[in-house]
Amino acid sequence: MSGMRGLSVFISDIRNCQNKEAERLRVDKELGNIRTCFKNDKGLTPYKKKKYVWKMLYIHMLGYDVDFGHMEAVSLISAPKYPEKQVGYIVTSCLLNENHDFLRLAINAVRNDIIGRNETYQCLALTLVGNIGGREFAESLAPDVQKLLISSSCRPLVRKKAALCLLRLFRKNPDVVNADGWADRMAQLLDERDLGVLTSSMSLLVSLVSNDYEGYSSCLPKCVKILERLARNQDVPQEYTYYGIPSPWLQVKTMRALQYFPTIEDPSTRRSLFEVLQRILMGTDVVKNVNKNNASHAVLFEALSLVMHLNAEKEMMSQCVALLGKFISVREPNIRYLGLENMTRMLMITDAQDIIKKHQPQIITSLKDPDISIRRRALDLLYGMCDVSNAKGIVEELLQYLSTAEFSMREELSLKAAILAEKFAPDLSWYVDVILQLIDNAGDFVSDDIWFRVVQFVTNNEDLQPYAASKVREYMDKIAIHETMVKVSAYILGEYGHLLARRPGCSARELFGILHEKLPTVSSPTIPLLLSTYAKLLMHAQPPDIELQKQIWNVFKKYESSIDVEIQQRAVEYFELSKKGAALMDVLAEMPKFPERQSSLIKKVEDVEDTADQSAIKLRAQQLPSNALVLADPQPVNGTPPPLKVPSISGIKLDHESASQTQSQPNGDLSKAQSQIPSADLVGEMVDSLAIEAPPVDMGSHQRVYREEDGIPDEVDGTAIVPIGDQANKVEPIGNITERFNALCLKDSGVLYEDPYIQIGVKAEWRGHHGRLVLFLGNKVTSPLTSVQALILPPAHLKLELSLVPDTIPPRAQVQCPLEVMNIRPSRDVAVLDFSYKFGTSMVSAKLRLPAVLNKFLQPLQLTSEEFFPQWRSLSGPPLKLQEVVRGVRPLSLPEMENLFNSFRVTICPGLDPNPNNLVASTTFYSENTRPMLCLARIETDPADRTQLRLTVASGDSTLTFELKEFIKEQLIAIPMGSRALVPAVPVPAAPLAQPPSPAVDANDPGAMLAGLL
Amino acid sequence: MKVTTRGSFPISYESLRVKQKVRGGVHHQGPNEIGVLGVSGIVKMIKAVMMMNTQGKPRLAKFYDFLPVEKQQELIRSVFSVLSSRPENVSNFLEIDSLFGPDSRLVYKHYATLYFVLVFDGSENELAMLDLIQVLVETLDKCFSNVCELDIVFNYSKMHTVLDEIVFGGQVLETRSDEIMKAVEEISKLEAASNSISLVPKSVSGWRGGR
Repeated sequence: MSGMRGLSVFISDIRNCQNKEAERLRVDKELGNIRTCFKNDKGLTPYKKKKYVWKMLYIHMLGYDVDFGHMEAVSLISAPKYPEKQVGYIVTSCLLNENHDFLRLAINAVRNDIIGRNETYQCLALTLVGNIGGREFAESLAPDVQKLLISSSCRPLVRKKAALCLLRLFRKNPDVVNADGWADRMAQLLDERDLGVLTSSMSLLVSLVSNDYEGYSSCLPKCVKILERLARNQDVPQEYTYYGIPSPWLQVKTMRALQYFPTIEDPSTRRSLFEVLQRILMGTDVVKNVNKNNASHAVLFEALSLVMHLNAEKEMMSQCVALLGKFISVREPNIRYLGLENMTRMLMITDAQDIIKKHQPQIITSLKDPDISIRRRALDLLYGMCDVSNAKGIVEELLQYLSTAEFSMREELSLKAAILAEKFAPDLSWYVDVILQLIDNAGDFVSDDIWFRVVQFVTNNEDLQPYAASKVREYMDKIAIHETMVKVSAYILGEYGHLLARRPGCSARELFGILHEKLPTVSSPTIPLLLSTYAKLLMHAQPPDIELQKQIWNVFKKYESSIDVEIQQRAVEYFELSKKGAALMDVLAEMPKFPERQSSLIKKVEDVEDTADQSAIKLRAQQLPSNALVLADPQPVNGTPPPLKVPSISGIKLDHESASQTQSQPNGDLSKAQSQIPSADLVGEMVDSLAIEAPPVDMGSHQRVYREEDGIPDEVDGTAIVPIGDQANKVEPIGNITERFNALCLKDSGVLYEDPYIQIGVKAEWRGHHGRLVLFLGNKVTSPLTSVQALILPPAHLKLELSLVPDTIPPRAQVQCPLEVMNIRPSRDVAVLDFSYKFGTSMVSAKLRLPAVLNKFLQPLQLTSEEFFPQWRSLSGPPLKLQEVVRGVRPLSLPEMENLFNSFRVTICPGLDPNPNNLVASTTFYSENTRPMLCLARIETDPADRTQLRLTVASGDSTLTFELKEFIKEQLIAIPMGSRALVPAVPVPAAPLAQPPSPAVDANDPGAMLAGLL
Repeated sequence: MKVTTRGSFPISYESLRVKQKVRGGVHHQGPNEIGVLGVSGIVKMIKAVMMMNTQGKPRLAKFYDFLPVEKQQELIRSVFSVLSSRPENVSNFLEIDSLFGPDSRLVYKHYATLYFVLVFDGSENELAMLDLIQVLVETLDKCFSNVCELDIVFNYSKMHTVLDEIVFGGQVLETRSDEIMKAVEEISKLEAASNSISLVPKSVSGWRGGR
């Protein structure tokens, strides 16, 4: 082991520092020292350099920024001696990232090491590239790395690194590994005897098939073979068994690779695979040795995933559920955890719900597990499996758990309980019970949404009102109740307390007494709410209760001088109003029903999946606009001026904020003016700090007049109120959507769209003019995505039928939505998928072009010269044969151009054109209106100027000829390759549609003469 | 040796400070840096390997997605604060979406005074990652015959060498500890051959004992 005394001494010094400050001083001193040494570079020996650079790395690990010496680290890479070179490589890969400028300086040195003969140097170089290699590395090094990987003379040590290095380069630039050229090599690699190389190669394969499974379909049977060999422990070297299990990593990776293939067509391969899986499922037992257990279950859980993916026979599925049922009750916590997680996944994939329900008691037990990770999994599972049949049991368990749960889980827990109670309530009184219990148990964690929601339900259901009132009355007897309980009780008793008037202890005076007891304990935002309740109680007191009136007036008077404007205002207004007698009745009438809307809670649940503080931020963001936006007038959001400021009814304001102005209005009809206020206030209370739903407009007569005058829509669109959070949490797509689309135009599977929450993948099959596209909507996070909508905007030439897209994508689940496509006639128009979903409060939407493009309806066809020329001649000129000189073509070598054409299924027919600079191609086009139609094309390139070429396209249908020509042109001008990004984006003037061939080009072009002959 | 008192500075306070800094937007982010590990959701890999002692001192940290140093420290601290609050005999898994972004997973193992932590995404199997930690520890055990925290502290460069033979650019490279050892020994020989400077023996009285 190479020792570096200086480094050890430094580490020792750092350890002896008594506090952070001392450490910082020591570090600063060292950094200063190193900096000086680097500056006076002259006398620095390689050993010293190496020592300093290690120190820098150590300092970096301690958390200090090391923003110099990068150059020195990089320069060590080209040092002649091993130790310096080594440290150069290691430190560079730790300190720099792939976009660092210095890294470019190293490319040559790295390449020299890779192509050199020294295997140790090769390893170092591969490690660097594998860790931080970027696009430039990919382009310049991929062929060399490929050579190393398939070389028979290299040691396994080098080759396995080469495999992973290539994986990295492929990710940086998928073009560097092309399925056409590489699939056979990849398949050969899977025959590798060395399990180390095989494991790395399998990782490489996983990456390749995740991008293009079709290209690597030849690898599928080999994967099954490997799995068979390992699972049966045939011919596996002893060293590669881990606690008796033949390389669990390779088994797991192999099964991962298999999960990227949509199905397994070949019956015998499928059979062997299922046999192996069966063996794994049945042959794994829980044993004493923890490590052996882990390893065997790693394999087992991967096998479960694969079985779920393959959608095996029912029998095998129920075997899986049975296994999972066993797992969730074993002692080993890791297996319990994974058992619960996989059961949650199982919920989505099969109709295993009923079998899973049998395990409910055990899952509920897991809710009391000492491990919070397991408790969370159990909560997720319970939430997912809840339906009308078991809601009561589950929600009651959640409530019970709530009182003992740790703080970090309570908010999520209470929200989930509230949602389940609302969604699956067998009757509404139970729902009210649950929410009140929730507030009672965990008031701090019950967001306002939850109590707003229960108030909405009670208001909208008359049967529920007396029940709710009596329930809250019971809670009021408790000695200490949460402020939220005071709020909800005050609201409900104010509205519906009079329904209890005949019950003992429920007279208006008694209700006032018990509520007023709480007033000293509440915070000032709750006081206005209590004042409103007092006013309502006073109104409802039958017969009028002079004593009560006196008490309440005293309260109002007391608060007339409150420092809080809201309280002061209400006190003054209610006092004045209550003196009016009959007018009071009119003003304080019962609240109207709320419009039925989707629960805001459900929208919210996702937030909670994030950290608690994050969701708190979102909530706060939502609360911010409340006063300004919600009641003041929802319309301004749409840019229309507030319609309330209409002179003709100057006294009447819906706006509770402007109530104070109302007071100062000299000649406003006070009673009229204020008649709106209290109810508006209460509604305001409801919507305040929430911005979920605009209140129903009061049906009071004044307002009706007002509405007739102004034609204001009486229902305010709740969605117009956008919580600020939306802007703050804008979801950005990952990767370039256009590039993804372009790539998908040339292949049949891949990712169409991705953002942090969802990934939309596409797999397509094309047959003649029919196509079947499957959209894979994968939820990437642990909370459901809701309000999922997918709309297809079809162009006129395509018939598209999208199967039902579910409204919700459960956590970490993938939903498949088949889309049937039929091509009616040739056109380059593109179908668009209008996709949207909600995550938390953010609405995410994307318009995505679907890769159901012209070339998908082509079938490759290679013609001989005997077949080609008669056809070519018979299509003699426009409109069936069109010719155009295309300029601004991205320079491509002929083989590259051949590949490009073949990739969009226009087959190059080699050797047909005598001029080596020209290409001749053919294909068949399918649509409903045209018969299968032969298409021919000829491309004449100019070796002197690769940016222009002459394109001739011919077919039996003039539209087809035109469309195909335009299509090919688009492909040539904007070549949808990843590498395009490197080319400076020169704005290419799209060649005018029917530009006549330039005579100048004609004259110089030998192909032009030939064209006449052809 | 001296008992380190450094471990006792208030880590929670530190992490709090860092968090606020990040929230406030002071946190430096270069144009090419990936903000949070998880945001680069396309990349399927092991995202980080961390070793820290039971007082929260990082002993080895390697991030396979480039992250600025403050972010690395913040993550190490946050992970530690969660780990240190976990009781014995619970699962080796942690929910860390809030730290590392959606679809990230964390497994850890606790040995004597050290935590070994692997952070990765849905592309890897949790239990297989747990096995990988075991491989790493078994290898270190062979390297240092009965590895202890001090071996790791003072053989910082060797730790990197060992780790690089196990995890390569976020992918599992080798799982056989004898094979890993062979590679590491080869490198050691090379280092020794061209290195005339005296070696620091594994146990120097001043460093061992105590603690």
